[in-house]
Amino acid sequence: MLRTDKRITILAGHFGSGKTEISINLALAKRQKYEKVAINDLDIINPYFRSRDVAAILQQQNIELLAPSNRLATADLPIVTGEIYRVLHDFRYQLIVDAGGDEDGAKALGQYYLEWKDLSPELLFVLNGNRPFVSSLEGAAFTIKQIEKSSRLKVTGIINNSNIGSETTIKDVEKGFALSSRLSEELEIPFLYSTISVALKQEAEDFQKTHDVVFIKRFMKLPWEKEETFLGEKSRF
Amino acid sequence: MGKVLMKGNEVIAEAAVHAGCKYFFGYPITPQSELVAYMARRLPEVGGLFLQAESEIAAINMVCGAASTGVRVMTSSSSPGFSLKQEGISYLVGSELPAVICNIVRGGPGLGNIQPAQSDYFQVTKGGGHGDYNIPVLAPASLQEIVELIQDAFDIADRYRTPVIIMGDGMLGQMMEPVEFGEYSEPIGQTKDWATTGTRGDGAPKIISSLELDAESLEKRNEQLQEKFALIKEQEVRYETYEIADAEYILVAFGTVARITMNAIQKARKHGVKVGLIRPISLWPFPDKPFIETRNKVNGYLAVEMSAGQMIEDVRLAVNGCAPVGFFGRTGGVVPSQEEIYEKIMSFAGGLPV
Repeated sequence: MLRTDKRITILAGHFGSGKTEISINLALAKRQKYEKVAINDLDIINPYFRSRDVAAILQQQNIELLAPSNRLATADLPIVTGEIYRVLHDFRYQLIVDAGGDEDGAKALGQYYLEWKDLSPELLFVLNGNRPFVSSLEGAAFTIKQIEKSSRLKVTGIINNSNIGSETTIKDVEKGFALSSRLSEELEIPFLYSTISVALKQEAEDFQKTHDVVFIKRFMKLPWEKEETFLGEKSRF
Repeated sequence: MGKVLMKGNEVIAEAAVHAGCKYFFGYPITPQSELVAYMARRLPEVGGLFLQAESEIAAINMVCGAASTGVRVMTSSSSPGFSLKQEGISYLVGSELPAVICNIVRGGPGLGNIQPAQSDYFQVTKGGGHGDYNIPVLAPASLQEIVELIQDAFDIADRYRTPVIIMGDGMLGQMMEPVEFGEYSEPIGQTKDWATTGTRGDGAPKIISSLELDAESLEKRNEQLQEKFALIKEQEVRYETYEIADAEYILVAFGTVARITMNAIQKARKHGVKVGLIRPISLWPFPDKPFIETRNKVNGYLAVEMSAGQMIEDVRLAVNGCAPVGFFGRTGGVVPSQEEIYEKIMSFAGGLPV
């Protein structure tokens, strides 16, 4: 599941592509195999819906969350924690780095270049083809170039996470796969797999037979998604 | 264009572009900065102009200038920055200029925090700046509804020559949902003959101003404004009801909070308490009608807000003493949970004579 053999995996992409969801799923998958797994919330862009917001779930699974301390977790400041140095060179650790969106988010990665350049980290580009600005080949390629420039690393793999939230169909995944494949060819970066919500497992049965697929769970939930959704009579005036 | 997955702030921006807005003046502030960033990237593509002002005060005054020329223009901010715009908003009203202003509300007072809140309700619905005025305020609950209400906002602004406020909480700005942008066409037959686009020897110079030195004249101007506000109150009320046909208790909530209450309502119904919801979409003018229609039938109303209790005052005015009005709110950026709303419904229902 979520195949990656590298000890350090960095998730980057356009903001709103699903990097955080994939980071959490990846951490959970790694935890099945490894004793020490840490997830570094390096998101300096988003004010809400970050890895640190699911701290309780991570703690429950014995996954270490490296994020700004509680006192500063919701400060409107682009803070990163120094704790990353504790695990960066500790070879017992599997490290997942959840970067913020676009080149601005990837800027936070640049500072670690000298630390991890010889550790051959995996830099994965998460693509949601249903997001504005990365729905075209040019837009997605441009975003990758920008991320590479500010992170000072080369993207080593592409993940297709194309979805439109609760209304996603397998068509969205297929469309995103086509775009990812073209992107992979154009930039000569390996395409890894498509991530699909577990809610779509049945619908994805055929697609799964011919494509690399990883099913993921959703953790960033809205307050009205935590229990059953509503049915009932609405009238608008 | 099919459905896309977008952030609330991006949807506000794209919906404005779809509604023909080509000018944006703003200053970034969390949790609405994506709106400013989106406009910076998007407006040049449609031949428009994005300008980051040196402050919120400068931005709103730039809006005054652009609106004077008759173009569709917008600015946005979040609570502290929105407060800074109040003087300019009062000038827009006084000069009768159309514009759309977004407030993506965060926890206050003061610098507060960057978490979602609805505690600017008083400020947006009761004036906010100086002088006698009200501004139409629209409060979307979903990202698709943002698309519709942004278009309405620009139309209302032009129709009545007034600023219009779009109010959402930080969560609405930050969350992601699928949206679709339909084709939009501006209402026909609207000419802006008041716009200061330069004279060509075809009449006297046009002047946009809120200055009126003579008391009698300023009173007359105020009377005209009041007539306009009365017309808006008659024409621009928007609301939604949910499960109120047989309701014994009615919840009142707007924006994202209304969505949280719906699940609590379903849960209460499963436990035998008949609850419904009135969701004001226009916060000003406040929808009195659904309260007048239900206030002699129900056992009580429960206002649920992300504030210490602001909209509840309008609920009380609309209920006019005919039924008890309870309140449940969280402040400081805390979002009420389904569970605590459900518990409040049950205790509210149990604590009243049936």
